[in-house]
Amino acid sequence: MFSRDNWQEIFHSIKNNKMRTFLTGFSVAWAIFLMVLMLASANGLVNGFDDQMGDSASNAITISSRRTSKAFGGFEAGRRIQFTNDDIEFIKQSFKGDFEYITPVFSKGATARYKRETGAYQINAVNAQMPLISEIEMQDGRFINQNDVIKNEKVVVIGAKIVTDLFKEENPIGKMLEIRGLPYKIIGTYGDNSGTGAENTIYAPITTFQRNYSNTSDINQIQLTYNPKFNLEEAINLSNKIAILLKRRYSISPDDQSALRVDNRAEAFSDIGQFKNVLFGITIVIGMLILISGIVGIGNIMVYIVKERTKEIGIRKALGAKPIDIIELVLLESVFITAISGVGGLLIASGIMGALGPLLDSPGFRDPSVNTNIMVIVTIILIVSGIVAGLLPSIKAARIKPIEALSSN
Amino acid sequence: MIEIKNLHKSYKMGSNSLHVLKGINFSVEEGELVAIMGSSGSGKSTLLNILGMLDELDEGSYTLDGVPIKNLNETKAALYRNKFLGFIFQSFNLINYKSAVENVALPLYYQKVGRKERQEKALKYLEQVGLKEWATHLPSELSGGQKQRVAIARAMAAEPKVLLADEPTGALDSKTSYEVMDLIQKINDAGNTILVVTHEPDIADMCKRIVHLKDGVIVEDKKVEQVRAAQYV
Repeated sequence: MFSRDNWQEIFHSIKNNKMRTFLTGFSVAWAIFLMVLMLASANGLVNGFDDQMGDSASNAITISSRRTSKAFGGFEAGRRIQFTNDDIEFIKQSFKGDFEYITPVFSKGATARYKRETGAYQINAVNAQMPLISEIEMQDGRFINQNDVIKNEKVVVIGAKIVTDLFKEENPIGKMLEIRGLPYKIIGTYGDNSGTGAENTIYAPITTFQRNYSNTSDINQIQLTYNPKFNLEEAINLSNKIAILLKRRYSISPDDQSALRVDNRAEAFSDIGQFKNVLFGITIVIGMLILISGIVGIGNIMVYIVKERTKEIGIRKALGAKPIDIIELVLLESVFITAISGVGGLLIASGIMGALGPLLDSPGFRDPSVNTNIMVIVTIILIVSGIVAGLLPSIKAARIKPIEALSSN
Repeated sequence: MIEIKNLHKSYKMGSNSLHVLKGINFSVEEGELVAIMGSSGSGKSTLLNILGMLDELDEGSYTLDGVPIKNLNETKAALYRNKFLGFIFQSFNLINYKSAVENVALPLYYQKVGRKERQEKALKYLEQVGLKEWATHLPSELSGGQKQRVAIARAMAAEPKVLLADEPTGALDSKTSYEVMDLIQKINDAGNTILVVTHEPDIADMCKRIVHLKDGVIVEDKKVEQVRAAQYV
C-alpha cells in the first residue's frame, strides 16, 4: 500500500494541484489548531486550579479530635478527646494495607528566634513520612528523616516565609534556630505556592518535640494517605471505618458529629475531578465538532477532486486499474493531506502555546500545554478522519464506469 | 481470437429502450486488421465498448482468446482489460500531468511490473513509435499526432492480445492520420490483432477487412486489398 509508486502518485497529484491541496489542508489544520488550543487552555485552567487547591496528596485523610457533643458510655458531653501515639499504632495495626503513609502531627504555637529576629510560628512535629502525605516541596536541604525521629535529633525544617522573616539574605541551612529556649539546627527549607500561610510552619521530629513538652505522647492530628489503588468508594469507606473504630476506642457516641473530624480529600477531589472531566469533555466535544466541519471540508474537496479526475480515473480503469487501486489512490491522498496538515496545525498550536504559556502564567492559569497522549490521539483521529473523508469519494471514484468517464470531455 | 455470437445490447432512455445492437455475429482471427465502419448511431462504438469490456452485453456470448467474457465483476474486468486489451482513443486520453514515458508505463504499473522494468519497457515502446526523445515531455508539449503515437505505445506496452482503436484518426489532419495508420499497419504486420472503428473510408481501406454496421446489424463483412499508408507519408 505504501510503495514508492503510490507516494509518487500522491506527490504528483499534490504538486499539480497546489491550491486545491492547500485549501483542503487548511481546513484540517485550522480545526486541529483550534482543538489543540482549546485543550491546552483547558489544561492551563486545570493546572491553575490544582495550584490553588494546595499541595496535599489527593489521597490524604486527616483525622483531628475535638470535644464530644453527646453523653455516651457513662461520660458527660463536652469531654475533650486527645489522641496519643498509641492511636497511630492502633490505626497501623487495624488498617494494614489500607493506608500508604501515616504520620502523627503534634502542633504547638511557639516563638522562634534567630539572632535578633523573632516570630510566632506553628510547629508541627511529624515523622519522616509527612512530605509524602502533604507534598511539601523542599527548596533547600532535606526534610526530617527516620533517623532524626529515632534519635530525637534537634532539627527543624522551616518554610520560605520564615526564611524571609528571620534570615533575610542569609542562608538558613545549618544555622541554629531558638525555639522555647532550645537551639534547633535548620536542615532544610520548603516552599509552597498556594499562599495559604503554610510557609509559616516549622516542621520538627515528633519525638524531639514530645520530649520537649514534658515527654507527652499527645498528638493533635493523624494524617495518612490511603492505598492509591482505592477508588473513591473504597476511600470513603476507609475514612468511615476509621471514624467508627476511633469512636469506639474513645467511647464516643456513634451519632456524635463533632468529636472527631475525618477529612477525606477524596471527596473534594472527586468534585474537582468531575469538574475537570466536564471541562475536558466539553473541550473535546467542541473540538470534535470543529474537526467534523474540517472533515466535511475535506470530503467536499475530495468529491470535487474525484469529479475533476473522472476522466483520468476512467483512463486508469481502461488501462486495467482495479476498483481497489482507485480507492487506494483517492484514500491515500486524502489521508496524506489530512495527516500532514493536521500535524502542521498541531505543531503550530503547540508552538504558540509553548511561547505564550509563560506570558499567560497567573494564579488561575498555568502551563497550558498538550501532553503527548493527546498528540498521539489527535494524530490517530486525523488519520481516521482522512480515511472517513476520503472513503465515500473514493468509493464513488471506484464506481465510475470507464465508458462514461471517457465520453465526458 | 474474438468470437461474438448473437450479441444484443439496448440502452434504457427513460421509459423507452433503445435497441442498439440487434444480433451481431462476428469473429476475428489472430493477426487481423479489421475496420468497423458505420454512420453515427450504427452501434459501432457500442460494439467496441463491449469488445473492450467497458460495457456489458445483454444477450449473446463473447469469447476472447478462448475465455468467455461474462458476468465480470469490476476487478475481473480490470484484470482482463489489462491482460487482453489495449485501447487507442479518438481524444488520446493521456493523463495530462504525466510525462509520455509515465503514460506508457501506466498499464504496466497496474500489472505490478517493477519500476525499472516498467521504465525500460515504456521506453522501448516509445522508441517503436519514434518518440524516444520525447519521453520526458508532458502531453501538452506534444502535437496531436505525437499524442496518438504515445497512446499507441501505451496500448501496446501491456502486450495485449487485441488492440482496440476508436476513431484513432478522428482528431487528426489527414497527413498525421496516415502516419498513425502507417504505425498501426506496422504493428499489425508484426502479428498483432487490431480493430479500428472509423467512419472514414480511406482509413478503412488501410485495413485488411471491413465490417459495415447499420442500425445495429452487420450489413457487410468483406476482406479488402490493403492500402499501405506509407505511400502517403
